[in-house]
Amino acid sequence: MSLALLILIAAPLVAGLASLRVPTRRAMERLQLASAAVLWAAMAAVAASVGAEGAVSFGSLLRADPLSAFMDAMLGFIGGTALCYAVGYMGEELTRGHLGFLRYRRFFVYFDLFLFAMMLAVNLDNIALMWIAVEASTISAALSVGFDRTKAALEAGWKYIILNFVGIALALFGTVLVYYTAEHALGVSMDALSWTALHRAAGSADGGLNPVVLKMAFVFAMIGYGTKAGVAPMHTWLPDAHAEAPTPTSAMLSGLMLNLGLYAVLRLKGLVDPAVGPAFTGSIMLGMGLLSMAIAAAFMLIQRDYKRLLGYSSVEHVGIVLIGFGVGGPLGLFGGLFHMLNHALAKSAAFYAAGMVLLRHGHKMIERVTGLLRRAPAAGSGLLLAAVALAGLPPFGLFVSELLIAAAAYRHHQGIALLFLGLLALAFATLLAPLTRMTFAEPIHNESVQGKSFHGDAAHDWPSEDARPVTTGPDRLMLSALGINLAAMSVIGLLLPIMASDWLLPVSALLDTKAGLP
Amino acid sequence: MPPTPLSPTTLSMTHPDLGSQLINLCSMMLLLTAFAIVAQRRLSACVDLYALQSLFLAVTAALVAWFTDSPHIYIAALLTLVIKTVTIPIILKKVIERVNVKREVEFVVNIPPSLLICGALVILAFSVTEPIARLGFLLTRDSLAIALAIVLIGFFMMIARRKAVSQIVGFLMMENGLFLGATASAYGMPLIVELGVFFDVLVAGLIVGVYAHRLQDTFDSVDTTKLTGLKE
Repeated sequence: MSLALLILIAAPLVAGLASLRVPTRRAMERLQLASAAVLWAAMAAVAASVGAEGAVSFGSLLRADPLSAFMDAMLGFIGGTALCYAVGYMGEELTRGHLGFLRYRRFFVYFDLFLFAMMLAVNLDNIALMWIAVEASTISAALSVGFDRTKAALEAGWKYIILNFVGIALALFGTVLVYYTAEHALGVSMDALSWTALHRAAGSADGGLNPVVLKMAFVFAMIGYGTKAGVAPMHTWLPDAHAEAPTPTSAMLSGLMLNLGLYAVLRLKGLVDPAVGPAFTGSIMLGMGLLSMAIAAAFMLIQRDYKRLLGYSSVEHVGIVLIGFGVGGPLGLFGGLFHMLNHALAKSAAFYAAGMVLLRHGHKMIERVTGLLRRAPAAGSGLLLAAVALAGLPPFGLFVSELLIAAAAYRHHQGIALLFLGLLALAFATLLAPLTRMTFAEPIHNESVQGKSFHGDAAHDWPSEDARPVTTGPDRLMLSALGINLAAMSVIGLLLPIMASDWLLPVSALLDTKAGLP
Repeated sequence: MPPTPLSPTTLSMTHPDLGSQLINLCSMMLLLTAFAIVAQRRLSACVDLYALQSLFLAVTAALVAWFTDSPHIYIAALLTLVIKTVTIPIILKKVIERVNVKREVEFVVNIPPSLLICGALVILAFSVTEPIARLGFLLTRDSLAIALAIVLIGFFMMIARRKAVSQIVGFLMMENGLFLGATASAYGMPLIVELGVFFDVLVAGLIVGVYAHRLQDTFDSVDTTKLTGLKE
């Protein structure tokens, strides 16, 4: 019985329910910061005890093995900084009168419930209950994505709902198929849905899990959870949702929700591989991963909205992770997991910085933001560092993981490795070019770009950059969230690849079936 | 290969044939109503047909519960009756009234080709599930194929209809197909799972309803082809 596990999951739920009744802004800030602190403490406790004991559980349904603990650490850490950031960001929106107190309060209810559903999903030792929690996170995120009362936000929200609800329904069909084959091996009971029992059955010699059914289940689950992870060609909701959602939500979507989808796919892969052999799941993942990278790298070229640009960059990174998992083997799995972690840190940091830019400029147009390093040093340098990390430059962890995945892919198939490196180079250029222009370029006069058509009808309503008074300096909370994420990212990238490997090797060992692809 | 002997769940020993034939009949009625929904021009009639389909689903679940002696499926059947044949249709009717949708469903694909495509989807579903049906674990030979066919038809309906409300009906139809798959081929999931799924679907239905309201308020229409602001 691990109480820390229960606290970790319950903290966002309690905070979310309490937010319904919070009377003042001050109280809301205290509540959310306290819940962030609790999240961090519980996350550390869970990670430590899983490290010591291998797995912890609470009751028969909640169980954290090394993979769950890895997700817990990621969700807890970034969830905490995202709460800090949200307090600063939404507080600023409230000060400016962009929303009233009731909607301010409702935002935190949605935000906390979203975090709770994700936290629950990764700790449930049950494939069907996990599906329910994933669906719950889809629903709560749907409320956050369409939170702003603009046409664009509504359209993005609708697109998100339709695609993700269809996806999640297909994933349920996959779950039903798993249950259908498992109940013949394990009997009609909750056992036939428990990850632990399923893994044991899948691992045993002729486990009793039917390979044909498992194959079909994997295809449905891959499409379903892949939609949630933003895998091409089901990614079309992603850039819209990331651009139009309130920025703290964008950070959570990119940093955490995509990884939840990947987590579900990875669990399924661990189940299907022993019965079917890794080539089946591997080739599907490789194909979708390469497609995601190609589409994202190409579409980043024509983006004019920096939040959309970051959204497409997430599609690319999800593709990289899938390639790592698809190639498999210790190297590929380790690379994929390490990439997930670093991408979550770097991308949420990038969104934190982008949100500060959005607050300062009041619009999302790349071409109308220049000279950030001089005009807004904090946001500018944060954005630059995150961009450098996301492009995969050396001091940061993403470089290490991309290198590992490239090496694993090279051992698997040279052509794939070359294609992978080519797409990486393309994405490098298409991501860094606009972001470096935003940070470095000389400030230009607005007249030169006015009159061009930008995305969305809101473009014309924004006052020009200089006419818009900057009400306050960047908020301390937003800055510290950004700083903490960047610091964690640098520490993991610079100093701790070895410690991170101590932590991640049990995870990849858990999932590695024999030797991955030949 | 004969069905694996699992004590409480193999077909009741008394009337194995009658049981599976009744269940088959009922799942076929679900499929038939799916076709009727696709062929329907009036939006409120679509919702009525959805309620009818859910009624058949409840009956199927009750039959499965009866013939396999698994009492927990009765609860699922009852919930289907309450939530899907009563509550959700009422919500949808309110949405239709509130957003004042024109009575006609608007089509991306017209009715005759739609029906042909749905026929093709049924054949596809049967051929995809054929290797599984051959294993012989299933309660009835066709239930999984029918379930998949309904899921695919619901999916098609979401693509081929313009109004937000008809897309919701498509989504709900998909969900009915899934539920049929879970009940008729896997003897129903454990109760806590069923409850969770019901809760999620209910909340999803509510949220989609809320969104439809907001679409109406903001765009003066629930025609989703008017959502064209966000594209490359």
